[in-house]
Formats: sequence, structure tokens, C-alpha cells
Amino acid sequence: MIRKLAENTPKTWACSIIEADQAPIPGMASSSTPKYNSNSLESSSSKWTLKDGTNWEQNEEIPRLPGETRVTDKDVIYMCPFNGPVKGRVYITNYRLYLRSVENDPVVILNVPLGVISRIEKMGGASSRGENSYGLDITCKDMRNLRFALKQEGHSRRDIFEVLTKYAFPQSHNSLFFAFVNEEKFSENGWMVYNPMSEYRRQGLPNERWRVTFINEHYGLCDTYPSLLVVPYNATDDDLKKVAAFRSRNRIPVLSWIHPETQAVIMRCSQPLVGMSGKRNKDDERYLDIIREANGQISKLTIYDARPNVNAVANKATGGGYEGEDAYPNAELFFLDIHNIHVMRESLKKLKDIVYPNVEESHWLSSLESTHWLEHIKLVLTGAIQVADKVSSGRSSVLVHCSDGWDRTAQLTSLAMLMLDSYYRTIEGFEVLVQKEWISFGHKFASRIGHGDKNHADADRSPIFLQFIDCVWQMSKQFPTAFEFNEQFLITILDHLYSCRFGTFLYNSEFLREKEKVTEKTLSLWSLINSEKSKYTNPFYSKEVNRALYPVASMRHLELWVNYYIRWNPRIRQQQPNPVEQRYMELLALRDDYIRRLEELQITNNSKISNSSASSTSPSQMVSQVQTHF
Amino acid sequence: MFSLKQPKPTFKSYLLPQADDNTVSEPRIKKLEPVLLPGEIVVNEVNFVRKCIATDTSQYDLWGKLVCTNFKISFITDDPMPLQKFHYKNLLLGEHDVPLTCIEQIVTVNDTKRKQKVLGPNQKLKFNPTELIIYCKDFRIVRFRFDEAGPESAKKVCLAIAHYSQPTDLQLLFAFEYVGEIYHNPAKKVNGIDPGGGGIGNASGQQTPLFETYSDWDREIKRTGASEWRVCSVNEGYMISTCLPEYFVVPSSLADQDLKLYSYSFIGRRMPLWSWNHPNGSALVRMANIKDVLQQRRIDQRICNAITRSHPLRSDVYKSDLDKCLPNIQEIQAAHIKLKQLCVNEPFDETEEKWLSSLENTRWLEYVRAFLKHSAELVYMMECKHVSVVLQEEEGRDLSCLAASLIQVMLDPYFRTIVGFQSLIQKEWVMAGYQFLDRCNHLKRSDKESPLFLMFLDCVWQLLEQYPAAFEFSEVYLTILYDSARISLFGTFLFNCPHQRVKESTEFAISKNIQLGDEKGLRFPCVWDWSLQFSSRDRLLFHNPLYIGKSAPSVHNGALWTFKRSKKNYSSTLRGVPPALKNGIISEQEFLPRRNSLILKLKPDFFQPAEGQSHSMEQYFRDWFAKPVDLHGIILPHLSGTQIKLWKLCYFRWVPEAQINHGGSITAFHRVSLLADEVDMLNRSLRQYKSNSSLQGHCSELDQSRMYFRANGLNDTSGAPDFLSSSFPFSPVGNLCRRSILGTPLSKFLSGAKIWLSTETLANED
Repeated sequence: MIRKLAENTPKTWACSIIEADQAPIPGMASSSTPKYNSNSLESSSSKWTLKDGTNWEQNEEIPRLPGETRVTDKDVIYMCPFNGPVKGRVYITNYRLYLRSVENDPVVILNVPLGVISRIEKMGGASSRGENSYGLDITCKDMRNLRFALKQEGHSRRDIFEVLTKYAFPQSHNSLFFAFVNEEKFSENGWMVYNPMSEYRRQGLPNERWRVTFINEHYGLCDTYPSLLVVPYNATDDDLKKVAAFRSRNRIPVLSWIHPETQAVIMRCSQPLVGMSGKRNKDDERYLDIIREANGQISKLTIYDARPNVNAVANKATGGGYEGEDAYPNAELFFLDIHNIHVMRESLKKLKDIVYPNVEESHWLSSLESTHWLEHIKLVLTGAIQVADKVSSGRSSVLVHCSDGWDRTAQLTSLAMLMLDSYYRTIEGFEVLVQKEWISFGHKFASRIGHGDKNHADADRSPIFLQFIDCVWQMSKQFPTAFEFNEQFLITILDHLYSCRFGTFLYNSEFLREKEKVTEKTLSLWSLINSEKSKYTNPFYSKEVNRALYPVASMRHLELWVNYYIRWNPRIRQQQPNPVEQRYMELLALRDDYIRRLEELQITNNSKISNSSASSTSPSQMVSQVQTHF
Repeated sequence: MFSLKQPKPTFKSYLLPQADDNTVSEPRIKKLEPVLLPGEIVVNEVNFVRKCIATDTSQYDLWGKLVCTNFKISFITDDPMPLQKFHYKNLLLGEHDVPLTCIEQIVTVNDTKRKQKVLGPNQKLKFNPTELIIYCKDFRIVRFRFDEAGPESAKKVCLAIAHYSQPTDLQLLFAFEYVGEIYHNPAKKVNGIDPGGGGIGNASGQQTPLFETYSDWDREIKRTGASEWRVCSVNEGYMISTCLPEYFVVPSSLADQDLKLYSYSFIGRRMPLWSWNHPNGSALVRMANIKDVLQQRRIDQRICNAITRSHPLRSDVYKSDLDKCLPNIQEIQAAHIKLKQLCVNEPFDETEEKWLSSLENTRWLEYVRAFLKHSAELVYMMECKHVSVVLQEEEGRDLSCLAASLIQVMLDPYFRTIVGFQSLIQKEWVMAGYQFLDRCNHLKRSDKESPLFLMFLDCVWQLLEQYPAAFEFSEVYLTILYDSARISLFGTFLFNCPHQRVKESTEFAISKNIQLGDEKGLRFPCVWDWSLQFSSRDRLLFHNPLYIGKSAPSVHNGALWTFKRSKKNYSSTLRGVPPALKNGIISEQEFLPRRNSLILKLKPDFFQPAEGQSHSMEQYFRDWFAKPVDLHGIILPHLSGTQIKLWKLCYFRWVPEAQINHGGSITAFHRVSLLADEVDMLNRSLRQYKSNSSLQGHCSELDQSRMYFRANGLNDTSGAPDFLSSSFPFSPVGNLCRRSILGTPLSKFLSGAKIWLSTETLANED
């Protein structure tokens, strides 16, 4: 068994190269040094370096996905912030920018999906003096910048600038995302992962108190909600329509999750349209009461308004607001003090300033503090803990909203669900969670990420989903055995959040996705992941059912996610693979080897001795147990 | 919530067998009696005391008796520990006990009279305390209430604790009483083990070299291949210096006569001490400053020449003046006080917002980094520049201890084993005259307190965190080792130098009529005798399940590519991986050919890279980090701000708010342990099958499992036990931060205080 594994290792390696080509995780260029590797280690280390997209295969073709076509190529100098100028040739396809160095040993490779590009700027002019002063500066959405210097003669950058602009920003050029021409094939179909009906059934819904409504089948009630909604049994579709009139963008309170024991629910919605005059709506008030009564609850319904109090008040000026005490005597309102998308965007910008290209070393901790990034993470996690605790320990139903209910609300409901329901901590469960709370409930991925849009300064852009993934990572750090997926899984999701290779995160709503026939014409990111699950599996995962997981949302434990935010810096990157994980894998291999050898011995022994006394550790038992495990 | 039911603590397990006391053998032990060690006496006690468990409620409080002995404060109760228990048991101390040497500050409070007072020794207390708060050096805060207790008795106990925890003389420390009793009554042994002597280093029974003898040093010379160095006995009987060990190692070319002559010029007559030899022949030497200005140059020259002559390449000596490039002991002490404030005293929520900058402002991590960085640079000098390194420091017994040990931990994998690490502490700390008595401040009157030893453990922890498979020991081991320095029983951490032990204990022996025979002073229990403190099962907590030992059969399994390690780390050295690294001891035939012959052969090859490219330090580090790590070679620290972290287990273990229930890295370690145990089990079955031996040996072998957590049969996929938390095996329950004293936040009392809680800060006394 183990010998086979050892023999296969080179093959696995080869596979991973191909895999890396198929899955060009935006790569850094670095002169990683395979030359130091002894042969025995080469396979493992190169495999890991490949995860960063770095590659040094000498005679390798330019990687291409099925459906990917080459557009142009050019000699450039890549201004690597870590290793200095690198002479190379850049190849541009309809999917990626690929650079291969010509002189460096080992070869420097840069492999960047065009979807990652946020902004392309020309630097210097035709008459600029100084070495490498003429070229392009590319700002990426994934915490890095790329600079290329070109020859000044003959406006050499003009065509490359135009090609890049055209293919990086298809939305601004009336052309298609690469996802629509991608012809990859996967063994799994990721579009089958999420079926709202079966997810609600998994939760035990509908039941005598909650019903499924098709009122939004054609997105007539709310064009940013999914077609299928779960609402209180005692509320009629007519009631829902009336409530919709009083909720921002018609995003009425609907069920996200129900506690299997307490029957308390997590509801989500947008802010009520209270306005300056303090408008009331009897239907909305009654509807919230129906929700409260649905789990036979006598105590008040808890409303978590994700915003800071002042922001909620300020929203009255634009017609919004929050549930006042007078109008909702049976509800208790708490503000969770999470700031808006603009604050988060600025915070991430500051974070980038201190980690890229160089890490601010002299006052690292106070610099990190001044970005407030971890503080925002803390507030989001604290909010989610409160929601989860209220539902679980407080046995009370909760209603979560912010302004529109598609940013902070999605963060809070999905994180609370992750804390309460161990299903969402599996690979598939997490995919369902993202698909449900984020994609189907209209988190505006297109606006927040700016897929294929050249308007890099758009005020709608914000790293809300990244922040959510960061929170998940923080939880996985605190509970290293509670999640089926590993860090690579989270990083892969973030990489394809930008890559536009899959349809998963394209467009702002289910309604638009249906209009664009996304599930028919594109592939799902979950196809890629589920086709090679082992790569994304956390070896320490131990399945636990129904344990609520409360992270400690304290600055004492929150950490900067170095492997994501500082991954381009070869000097900071942490050991890959994580040494604890690596040791575990080694032990697993060793165990399998021993089991195989014991099995062999037992076969030979059995031929000699029949019916040997069956001890609890007899090899046959071991083997059968192991087999069920795999 | 914390559902694990442990057997009720039986006092029996650490009750001493006393020949004249028949009650011991009776099944029912009389309750609420303190368990005493030999020589331990009850000084005072008070009944009906309430020990506070939680900050916000008294519902978990325990009722019992508070006892002050000459060794510890003991709280004896019938009530079971609520919530979460400890998951190890110190055989010397009960669950609620605090050794007197661990006490930092004693505060008595009277609620109704609104008075409080910090109790010093021999002080009077003009009010009857309703409350006693003990601030411990290990960051714990323990609180007792006397609402139902006799007011006078309560007062007496408080005064007794104050008095006995702040002794005026070294010989008043409990260890002396204990050892005296043992010498008078040799039958009294704690846990059946001879309290004196080197003791058992670890489960495998290997002894930790104490470096008290000539032969220990000689073995170390052989182990490291330092053939041009010799053990010198001029200080036998401490004739030259009272702060040097009796035996130490010097260049072979220096004669005893010269050494004697030179010694007068060094501060404390501390001649240069050899620490370790790199396989390439470079030596690590520590040296005090030369006070004799006129002779300074000449002696310095002579010493350096001798060190050069002991180098196979005759390379120059690189001198590092530690006083100039590292934080001094006062700065480290100040950083530690700030860290303590931040971690324990300040209200949890109030410090959250500015946590990162507050942590930075303590400068603790900055200093940790400074030590790691400087040590790594000296590693570079020895490894790449092939020069001997001399650590120079005024007295050569503070920063040098830390730097010398860190360099060796990085360079020599032997020091990353349990026995090796312990021998390193013996060699570079205990024998080299690190002033444990003053720096730990056991007598609580010294302004020389400084947590250098903790700083060292913290630096090692950083390396352990970065290279978790390179160390045989776990972070629990490091934490418990730190705690052990606060138990005044072990001679290891009690004295300023070996001579002090001899001198003080001889005086003590004479006063107590103890016949010493030809022994040099009394022999105190050794901390490496872990069986004195922990059961063999609990000692398994010291083992790191990730460690890949060189001798582990699994590693040498040829079928596994995963275990093939490059041996690049010593490649630039003359002799490849020193054979020494196998077991820590070199056997004679394993020695490589004489150095001189090798040099001729290897020299060209050797200098080529150095000439070919500017082999700058930065380049060396960059190249090193680009390579895969050889866990049995050099390890170098990552030094970026993102990579130097706070040692949470050590500093947060008593803070309930910071505890991750059912989580923390221990849960992953738990999984690794189970798997490692399973692999062990399979390996044993395999060997058994092969040797066709009977099943008899099987059971005893199973008991030898290295893992604290054991697999419940094969392929144990059961989840983590409920009791795991980020504080494991410690528990923050019962160790509480008091938010305020009489309505004034604690931080108000403490902020600006030079010492953690000095008498001045609580001026509002009776």
C-alpha cells in the first residue's frame, strides 16, 4: 500500500502540475529555489510551490484551459518587488496573463487570471528617462500590484494595454466573461450542490409552523431574493406583499435557519422604511409578531441591527430606519456596530499599504491596529456569536438586518449558522451556505467585486465576502478539528471570487443569473473543488454533530491571515505545508504502511496457524476498520 | 459543560508514608488536613474560608480551610472543583495550593471599613481582613473571603502568609528545612524517590548531565568534537572564583597557571568559559569583561589567540558585546511588568481596542525578537564564517546565558530533546552562575529581579511554534518548567551559583547537626527529577507528538520517501552531520579523521562560495529559508513581526475570557497524538509478529506509549474530549482577576506602579 503510494508520488506531482495549469491560482513570481532541493524532497516542495502558481518547468507549454485562446505576447521586464527586474515574455489569453522569464534560473512564472485585475495604468511616457520607467502598472484585487517595463520604441505598450483592457474588463466592452467560453470538464457538477428545497428539508422544513412559498417564483415580490422562500405558516402571501412595501427593496423577513431543538429561527431582511416621520406599518408589525409566536415563544423577538446606532438613525433621512419600541413592543433591538462597505474598503486598503510589497516591520502591531481590519473582523464575529447564542442558549428567534440586508446581514446569518450547524462546516455544507446565504440572497457580488468592470474606483466595491471568509478562517484557527475544509479551500474560493473562470460569483442576484442562464452556460466553482476534494480536506477534521462552536472574538486571539494577505511575499510566507499538517500526513502514510505489512504477515501466519486468539488489536480488525474509514 | 469526571483528588497520593503514623493505612483519611512534606509545618490556619471561583457570581465558591505552612498556602476543601479542572496533578501541591515562593503580593481588604493593605513581612494589620487576595508570579490571582471565619484567625493567617512568603534569609526557604529533614530521616522520601541527585531525565530513564563533574564536561567535549579544548579543574573547591563552576572547559593551549594569573583581571574572576563546539570547529565561548584596564589588551589578546589556536582553521575570533546589542535586565523586567499588567490586571474588555499597540508597547515581543535575531546572527558567524564566537558581557552571567543557550538550540538538535535541553540549562544557566535566587527574587527584597529565564523559554517557544516537529518537548513542558522555578524545593533554581549552594547548605548542615561526610554541601532535589512532581502519565504531557526523533524507527523506514531528509545543514561544515547527534554521545570510533588532514582536503571547496559571491548574512538567511528545513540540523527563527507571537498558553492560561473552549491548537495535537499512538501500536504489533514473541511482552510495551492521549483502539475517530481548551492542561477556573477593589478599578491601583503592585500604590492603608 505504502510502496504504491511512494511510487505514485511523482505521478501525483505531475498531476498537480496539470492541475495547476487548469487551476491557475493567481501566482506570484518568485525565484523559489528548487536547485537546493534534494531529490527526495523535490516532489513535495515543488508541489506546494505550485499552489502559488510558481512553476519552473523548463520546456512547458503556456498553460491553457479548454476554451482559452491566445491573444498576444510581448517581451517585457517584470519589475518584481522582491527580486528586482526580471526579463521575460508575457502571454495574454482571453483568460490570463502569463509571464515566463527568459534568463532567470529557476524560471520565474507569473500566472494571473485577468479577472483579478482591477486597474491598468500606464507609467512613464515615450520620453521618460531612466531604466524601466516606461510601462504598465496593474493593480490587482488580490492584494498585489504588477509592474511591467517595456521598450519605449514604437509605442510598444499600446497594443498590450488595449488587449489587457479589453479582456480584463469585458463588462465595459460588451463582451463575455471567460466563464461563458470556458469548456472545462469536471467529474462533479457543482451546480447540483445547492438545491434550496432539499436544504430546507434537511432543516426539517416545511413544518406545521413554517411553509415554503413560491410567491417570488418570477421575482415579482423581490428581484434580489431567491425564488423560493420560507415564511411563517400563519402569514399569507398577501401579508407578505404588504410587508414587502415596508421593507427596503422589498426584502421581507424570511427564514434562514431553524434550530432543530429549540425551533428558534434566524430570520433575515432589510431595514424597515420608517423614514424621518417615523412611519408605521401594521402588517409588518403583525408579521414580526407571527414570527415570534412561530416557535411558541413568549419572550420578545430579538432584532439585531448590524449597523452602529448612529448609522441606523441616519438612514431615516433616506427613508430607512429601524424598528422603534413603540411600534414593536414585542421586540428587543440591539445594534451590532458593524460599519458599512466604505469603511471596510478603506480598512483593507490600509492593510494592503502595510503588507505590500513590504511588511511594515518597525511597528508592526500598532500599524496593524491602525488599519482596524482585525477590529472589524472582531465586530462581525461578535455579532454572529450574539445571534447564535440567542438562538441556541436564549432559545429565542432572531431577526437580522442592516440597511439592505445583503452585506452585513449575510455575514451575520451565515457565520451564526456556521457556529450552530456542523453541516455547514463540511466542504459541501459550506458550499451550500455560500450558495444560500450569499449567492441566492443577493449579495451583490458583481458590484462588490466589480467583475469585468473597468471602473476601479466604484464606491460599490467592498471586500465584504473576503471579510466573511476571513472570519471563517479565524474560526478554523481556533477550532482546528471542527472544519472539514482546509485553508487552501478558503484561498481557492477567494481566488475564484475574482477569476471569472466560473459562473458561481457572477452577477448580483439569482434573477439576473437566471436571465443570463449562468447554470447552463458556465461551470460552478464547486465542480472544480468537489472533483478533487482531498486537496481541500483538513486532515484533522473530526466530525461532530450538533456542537455549537463559539470562537473567542478577542484581539488576543484574532490574527492576521498571513497566508492570504501576505502570500506574495516570499520572505513572509509561512512554511508550506503547515508542519503540523505535514507530520500528520506522514504518520497517516506510516500507519497505512504498517497496516499493509501486518496484513501480509497475517496472511502468511494464518496459513501456518489457524484460529489464532482474537485479540482486540488483531490485524484483520484493524484493516477492516481502516477500510471503512477510507 | 465540563463533563469530564476525574476521580476525586485523593490526598493519599502525595501523603507521605510515615512509619509512626498508623492513620495513613486506614481507608478513610481524615478530611481537611493539609498534606505535608518532610520538614513542612503548619504555621497557621483558619476555617470556614470561601475561595472565590468566578468574578461575577459566588455560586461556585468553595468552602474550606486556609492553611499557611512554611512551604505553601493550602486551601483544603471537601467541595469538588466546579466547572473545569486541571488536567494534570502536581504531586507536591494540591489543586488549590500556591507555593510561598510563587507569591508576588498579598493584599488584605476590609469591605466594611473600606480599607486595604499590601502586607509586607513583619507588618501589623490594624483591621480584620474580610478578604485576602494573592497575586502570584505566574500571573494567577487567588482570592479568599473570610465572611464566616473567625476574624482574629483570619488576620493571623494573613500575617503568617506575609511573613513566611518573604523570608529574610536564603536558609529560611523551605528547601533547606526539607533537605535537613531528609538527611535526618533518610526513610522519608517523596513518592519513594531519592530526593537528592541527578534524577531521571525522562521516561526513557536517560540521566540529565548536571555538569557538576569533570566527566560531564569531558563528555560534552567529546560529543561536540572539541578536541582542542580541555576540562580545567583550577576552580576545584571554588578556589579561584565563587561564581564559576568547579569544572569548566578552556582552550588546550592555556595552562592552569596562566588561567589563574588572568583570572584576577576578570570581573568576578570569571575566566572565559567554553560552551559548545560547532562541527566545523568553531567554538562558542562566554567571557566576562576584563576590569584591569592596563592588562585588558594583553589578556584579551592572549585569550583570543588561545581560542584561535583551538580552531582547526585558526580563524579569527568574533566578539559580540551583548551589553551593547541586547536589552538589559532592567528593560526586560520593565517589559515583563507591563506584559503582566496587560495580560492579567487590566480589565479584559477595556484593553481589547488597543490590544495590539499595548502589546507592542510592553516591548516584550521586541526583546524576544532581539534575542532571537542576535543569536541567529551569531549562528551565521559560526556556521558560515567559521569563526569562534565570544559572548562578552560585564559579568557574563545574564544575557550570555540566554544567548549561549539559544545559539545551541538553533545549532544542535541534541538540545532540542528533553535530556539535551535540560543539560543545556544545567550547563549555561545553573553551572554558569545565572543568579536564579536574585533574578527570580525568591527572597522578595531584591531589586535585581528579572525574568531572563522566562525570556529564554519564550524564545524557545517561538522556535517550537515555528518548527513544531523539531522539538522532543511540548509547550506544556516549557510552561511547567517555568512554573517549577517558583517551587522552593529544587536546588536547580534556588541559588545564584553552585558555590552558594555548597556554602549555604554547609552552614545550614552545621547548624542542624547534619553530618555531610565527604559531600560538598547538601544535595537538594533536582527539578529534572520530574517524578517528584508528576505521575508518569502526566509526564507524557511533556512529549511533543510531532517530534521526529532520529532514533525513532519510523523515521528510518526506507520505504517512506516522506522521511528522507536532506542533510544539507551541515554540508558546509567539515565533517557532515556530527555522529554525536544520534544519542548525544559520541563513541570513539565515530570520530572523523583528525581535523588537520581534513582541512587540507576540504579547504578549497570550502572557500569557493565565500569568494565567488558576497556571502552576506542576509543572503545566507534568504538561502536558508528557501531550502526545506532539516529538523535535525540548524533551525533559524523567522523574525518578521507577523511571525513573533505571544505565548498564549503561558500568559493567558488563567484568563477565563481568553479561553477557547473545546478549541485551541491542542485539539489538533490531540488528533496527532492519537495517530502517533496508533502508529506506535502498529509498530509494536509488527515487531511482535516478526519476532514471533508471545503476547506477554505486549502489555508492558503498551504502557510505554509516548502519548498522553491514546488511541482507543485503531483508527480512533472519536472527537476531541470535552475538556480540551486553549488553556489545557491548565484551567482558568478559580484564578480570577478582580475587577476592582472597593469600587476602584484594579488598574487604577496598579498603573504607574514601578513594581507590579508595590506598597506605595495602596497608600490607603489602615
